[in-house]
Amino acid sequence: MALFRNDDTPMIDRYRWWEIIGIYAGIFVFLFFMLSPFIEGFLVSLKPLSQLFSTPYSFWPENGSFKAYFTMWESVPGFARYIFNSFLISTIATVIVLLLVVPAAYAFARFSFRGMGLVLAAFLAVSMFSGAVLLIPLFRLMRTLGMLNTYWAMIVPGAAFLIPAAIWLLRTYMMRIPKELNEAAYMDGASQFYTFRRVILPIARPGIIVVAIMTFIGAYSQQFVFALTFNSKTEYMPLPIGLFAYFGKQEVIWNELMAASFVGIAPALILIFFLQRYLVGGLTAGAVKQ
Amino acid sequence: MGQLTLKDIVKRFGAIEVVKSVSLDVNEGEFIVFVGPSGCGKSTLLRMIAGLEHTTSGDIVIDGKRVNDLAPVKRGIAMVFQSYALYPHMSVFENIAFPLRVEKAPEASIREKVEAAAKILHLDQRLEQKPGMLSGGQRQRVAIGRAIVREPEIFLFDEPLSNLDAALRADMRIELTRLHKQLGATMIYVTHDQVEAMTMADRIVVLHAGYISQVGPPLELYHKPQNTFVAGFIGNPRMNMLPVTCTGVTDQGVEVDFNGQTLLIPVAGRDGIVGSALSLGIRPEHIEIGPGEAVMTITPTVVERLGQQTIGYAALDGQDENFCLVLPGSRGIAEEQPLQVSFSTADCHLFDAGGQALERQVDLAAMSLPPVAVPA
Repeated sequence: MALFRNDDTPMIDRYRWWEIIGIYAGIFVFLFFMLSPFIEGFLVSLKPLSQLFSTPYSFWPENGSFKAYFTMWESVPGFARYIFNSFLISTIATVIVLLLVVPAAYAFARFSFRGMGLVLAAFLAVSMFSGAVLLIPLFRLMRTLGMLNTYWAMIVPGAAFLIPAAIWLLRTYMMRIPKELNEAAYMDGASQFYTFRRVILPIARPGIIVVAIMTFIGAYSQQFVFALTFNSKTEYMPLPIGLFAYFGKQEVIWNELMAASFVGIAPALILIFFLQRYLVGGLTAGAVKQ
Repeated sequence: MGQLTLKDIVKRFGAIEVVKSVSLDVNEGEFIVFVGPSGCGKSTLLRMIAGLEHTTSGDIVIDGKRVNDLAPVKRGIAMVFQSYALYPHMSVFENIAFPLRVEKAPEASIREKVEAAAKILHLDQRLEQKPGMLSGGQRQRVAIGRAIVREPEIFLFDEPLSNLDAALRADMRIELTRLHKQLGATMIYVTHDQVEAMTMADRIVVLHAGYISQVGPPLELYHKPQNTFVAGFIGNPRMNMLPVTCTGVTDQGVEVDFNGQTLLIPVAGRDGIVGSALSLGIRPEHIEIGPGEAVMTITPTVVERLGQQTIGYAALDGQDENFCLVLPGSRGIAEEQPLQVSFSTADCHLFDAGGQALERQVDLAAMSLPPVAVPA
């Protein structure tokens, strides 16, 4: 038990051996539920296609290989383009969301104005509807604006549905920035914009990065419905639609489909992994006496 | 430069009147302390002078110019916040340089001024550090540095020492007094700590429920409080209040009946007070053991021994507040043992039923002793 408990462990963090087993068992069950589709998907991507339909079904791949990860590029030549499209759509949506949300969240956090509660509640209400409910009105809107079959058809609704959550998230973060900092800057002669740029933005950086990551993931995963409905051009297809290409007329190339899924997620995973390093907390330490 | 006048300042938050008609003249170079209990309006008053709050009515005049609608910078004012309000992502240098960067001063002059300020505040070695790495006292000095670098005519301090521990607070008090002498600027300081008020102020403004209760030098407030509020607020432990009845007024003072003893209190008499109930105020430190001009017997219920002094508390019949006495050194008084104490009528204060003081006939000049010349 030395791993979990030694003399330096505070009393409140000490557990009996059976408590520790219980905790880890709980974590395992929880993680297995969440990760089992990924595990199965990964194992499938290693198996040859013939083995997928064998009875009895074997969970562990026999003579598994990464072959599907190479052949997938030949089966669907446009796949790299789909990944690029996904990235492009998510990145532009994230940029748009940040440009709109950062000032908005600051305003909601710092100023009190007539109708503020109403607007905030309205944002919450909007995020109760999923995009799918509003597909038909959105389709008409897109058609009127001439955005069907363009990248914008996927970027604009994607960004719109991500804004409410982002505002709520960032507003909460910005409310924790002490008001005295604004007052001190005001006393020193700084304008609202100068204070926003030189004081608030740097302090809010960790919060902004969290919102950026959340928005990017959201945009990356929510493209499916909009892409399916508002776009029919192959060259603009994002990853989730691109995966349909592995569904042949006669059969589905399951192992390559799974391999493609993992390859598609990989760039986003890597990007988030690197962004995470900037999530340094405690940036407000020393601003005011708590 | 640095003369401030407040004329009938009123501040209302909705229906609540926080500051009720405050008028005050602050002279150039003065160290003024606003003191009062929580919620007396002292911070609100300071924030109005700073330009962070609007005045509901009244004028704020600095150097003959009405500044009510001017931004803080245009008023020539700098403020130090209770919570320091440092920018956590900037180094100490950038924190102090912030006001100069705002006004786009040239780099060379920024460097020169920041280094000068850092030298005054002993921060030269800390300029590259972030506020998070500094101690409470150092953070407070950075906040002061940010205020002095702009060379304002008036400094405002909003309870700047209340977040520091006792020892550091004493050090910073001395440092602020030194800074005031060095800069010669007008300083307005808000605190609820009467020790800070007594030690640093040229004049103290005692605020009570939105009004100015009394304005004066520290010792005047101690020796001649104009009302029971100031009498109770200045001095620690609080002044004892004893009920007496006025029996006569003479040229020498006012005669009162105190527990069957007739005392002649040297205060200015007033018409129509004979026969009325008055409050006799006596400070705990003016009470002695044994017989004297006014004698009473008390039974201490709690005795606190601080080494330097001994404080006793006794319950009196018909009074909510404990009677308190402070004796020098470690005096042998015991709990639950009756004790004869006395005080001199010259140390007494008298207040009428409305709480207003009858003016004491004391010579304040004689109270503050001239400096003793040391023979060479």
